[in-house]
Amino acid sequence: MAGGRFSLDLARPSRQHWLGYVLLTPAVLLIAAIIVYPLFVSIDLSFQNVGIARLDQPRRPFTLANYERLFSSPDFWNACWVTLKLILVVTSACCVLGLATALLVNNRFRGRSVARLLVAMPWAVPEVIAVVIFAWIFDSSFGLMNWVFLSLGFIDRTINWFSDPDAAFAVVATTMIWKGYPFVSIMSLAGLQSIPEDYYSAARVDGANALQRLRFITLPSLMPVIGVTTVLVMLWIFRDFSIIYVLTGGGPLKATQTLSIMTYEQAFSFFRMGYASAVGVVTLVICVVAAKLTMRRAPDTL
Amino acid sequence: MAAIVIDRVRKSYGALTVLKDFSLDIADGEFVVLVGPSGCGKSTMLKILAGLEAASAGTIRIGGRDVTDLAPGDRDIAMVFQNYALYPHLTVASNMGFGLKMRGTPADEIARRVGEAARILDVEHLLERRPRQLSGGQRQRVALGRAIVREPQAFLMDEPLSNLDAKLRVHMRAEIGALHQRLGVTTIYVTHDQIEAMTMANRIVIIKDGEIQQIADPETMFERPANQFVAGFIGSPGMNFLTARAEQGVAQLFGTSVPVPPGADGAITVGLRPEHIEAGDGPVTFVARPNLVESLGSEKYIYFAAPEDNRPPGFLTRSEEDRRGDRLIARLINSGPIRIGEPVTLSFDPARLHVFDPASGRAIR
Ligand SMILES: Nc1ncnc2c1ncn2[C@@H]1O[C@H](COP(=O)(O)OP(=O)(O)O)[C@@H](O)[C@H]1O
Ligand SMILES: [Mg+2]
Repeated sequence: MAGGRFSLDLARPSRQHWLGYVLLTPAVLLIAAIIVYPLFVSIDLSFQNVGIARLDQPRRPFTLANYERLFSSPDFWNACWVTLKLILVVTSACCVLGLATALLVNNRFRGRSVARLLVAMPWAVPEVIAVVIFAWIFDSSFGLMNWVFLSLGFIDRTINWFSDPDAAFAVVATTMIWKGYPFVSIMSLAGLQSIPEDYYSAARVDGANALQRLRFITLPSLMPVIGVTTVLVMLWIFRDFSIIYVLTGGGPLKATQTLSIMTYEQAFSFFRMGYASAVGVVTLVICVVAAKLTMRRAPDTL
Repeated sequence: MAAIVIDRVRKSYGALTVLKDFSLDIADGEFVVLVGPSGCGKSTMLKILAGLEAASAGTIRIGGRDVTDLAPGDRDIAMVFQNYALYPHLTVASNMGFGLKMRGTPADEIARRVGEAARILDVEHLLERRPRQLSGGQRQRVALGRAIVREPQAFLMDEPLSNLDAKLRVHMRAEIGALHQRLGVTTIYVTHDQIEAMTMANRIVIIKDGEIQQIADPETMFERPANQFVAGFIGSPGMNFLTARAEQGVAQLFGTSVPVPPGADGAITVGLRPEHIEAGDGPVTFVARPNLVESLGSEKYIYFAAPEDNRPPGFLTRSEEDRRGDRLIARLINSGPIRIGEPVTLSFDPARLHVFDPASGRAIR
C-alpha cells in the first residue's frame, strides 16, 4: 500500500504514547480553562488594587497592599480561627460517626441494606435542602430542637440559635456533620469490606477479643482510607459555602465567618476583588499545607 | 500437646448438610491429614475444631477437655491459613508475637520466643520486614512461625502450601514434616492434594461430601482402599477401572481368566493401578495399541483403550476427558521405545487387582 507509509497508525506499539496524549488533550484543555486560568487570574488580582475585576481593563500596578491589610486585619484572623474550629470539630465528628456507622452496617443483620441506605442518605440530599431542613429544626420560635430541649428539661426558655454566636456555630457544625459523615461511612465501609476475613479468624484463634480486633486489625487496615477521606472532608469544609451562607450568612458577629465566606463577602458584597483574591490565595496555601500534613501522617501500609 | 477427639460432629448450613457424623480420634503428637475433593467439608471441619464455626451437633475434646463451646482463643490451638493471614501493617516479629501479646505475655518473653521460632524457621533476618516485602515461601515460614511461638496444644493447617509454586511446595512439605518431627505437636492438616497427604501424614482421613470414606496410614490407603472412591483418589495417575463379570471366583479380563475374591459375583468393577502394568510378558498378558504416549524421561505414561467387554464404568474420579477416550493408563519404567498406534505387549499380576461392588463402590476382598 503506497499511502501506508504516511498514514498515522496510533495503535502501533511505538506510537501508543501519542495516542495517550491525544486522548488526554481535551481533559487537559478543559482543566486549564476552568481551573488553571482562573487560578492564575486570582493570584494576579491579589497583587493589584482592584475593585471590580474586568478582564478588558489594563493591569493595575503591582502591590502587596492586599496581603499587608489581610495579615493585619482581625477579621482575617477571626475567619482563620472559625475555619480551624470548624475543621477540628466537623472532621473529628465525621470520622467517629462515619466509622461507627460503617462498623454497624458492616455486620450481618436483618434489614442491613435498608440501614446502609439510611446511613448514606444525608449524602444524597442536596446541600441547600439539608440547610433548609436544619434551618427549620433550629428555628427559634417553632423549631424542633427547642421543643426537644424544652421537653427534656435541658432549658427553660427557647434558645435563639441564630443570634447567639456559640449556638450559631453549633448549628453550622451540626449541619455540616450531618451532611459530611456519610462520605466517611461509605469510604470506610468499602475499606472494611476489603479486609480479608482470615485476618479476623487468625486474630480470634490468637485470642484477640472484639476490642483488640478493632484496635489491631480494623483500624490499622482502614488507616489509608481514613487518611484520604479525612483530607477530602477537610477540603470540603474549607471550600463549603452554601451551608454556612444560607444558615447564618457568616454571622452573628462573624462567629461563623470562614475563609470562604469572607472571600465571597469581600468580592461580591464589598467589591474588593483584589483583597478577596488575596484571601482566596492564602486559603489555597493553607489547604495545600494542611492536606500535605494529613497525608503524611497516614501510614503508607498496604 | 494433646490428643484430640472429634465425636459425631455434624454441620449444616440451612438445608445443606456439610458434615455428617464426623468422628475421629487423634493421638497425641500425631500428624493427621484430612484430604478430599474441593467442597467436601475439610475446611469446615478445621474451622469447627478451631472454634471459628459452631458445630450443629457433636463434641470436640482437646487434651481431655471439652472445648465444644469455647471461643477460639481459649482452645489453645494455632492455625495456619491458606493465604497466611499475616497482618500487612505489622512487622514479621509483631506478626509472630501477636498471639502472645493478646494474651498479655511480657515483652521480653515475647521477644525470646519469637527469636527462638525465627531461628527454627530460618527467618531471623526478616524479623523487621513487613509481609509484603517477603516472598511466598518466606511468608509461609512466618505463618508457621506465628503458630509455633504460641506453643499450642495442636496445629491446624488449612491448605498451607497451595499458594506456593510446585518446587517450593515440595520443599516446604519436607520442612513441615521436619518441624513436626522436631516439635512433636499434634497436627491436623487439610489439603486436596493426595500427594501431600501421602507424603506427610501419619494417618490420612479421606472425606467425600462430608463423610469419612477411610481412615488409614498412607500405605494401607494405597494398598487396601476401602472403596472405589478412595482407590481412585489416591495415586497418580489414578487407578484404572474396568468392568467385568465374576462367576465362581473367576472373571474375564483382556480375554484372560483371572481369579477374583470369592465374595465377588456377577457384575464387578476391577481396579488396576497404572504402575502395576508392566511392559512384556507376565501372569496376564495382553496387547495394547497406545493412542497417546507421554514420556517423562524416567518413565512413560501409555494411554490405550480398554477391551470392548471390559469398558470402564462411566463414573468416578477420573476426569471427563479420560472417560470420553475410555483411556486406560499404564505407567512403564525402563520400557523400550513405544510409538502411538503400534502394538505393545503389556502384562499385570492379578494379585494386584482391586475388586469393587459396582453398586456401593465397596471393596470386595
Ligand atoms: N458459610 C457457609 N454457608 C453456606 N455454605 C457453606 C458455608 N461455608 C461452606 N459452605 C459449604 O460447605 C461445603 C464445604 O465447604 P469447605 O469446608 O470450605 O470445603 P473444602 O473441603 O473445599 O474446604 C461447600 O459445599 C460450601 O459451599
Ligand atoms: Mg477449603
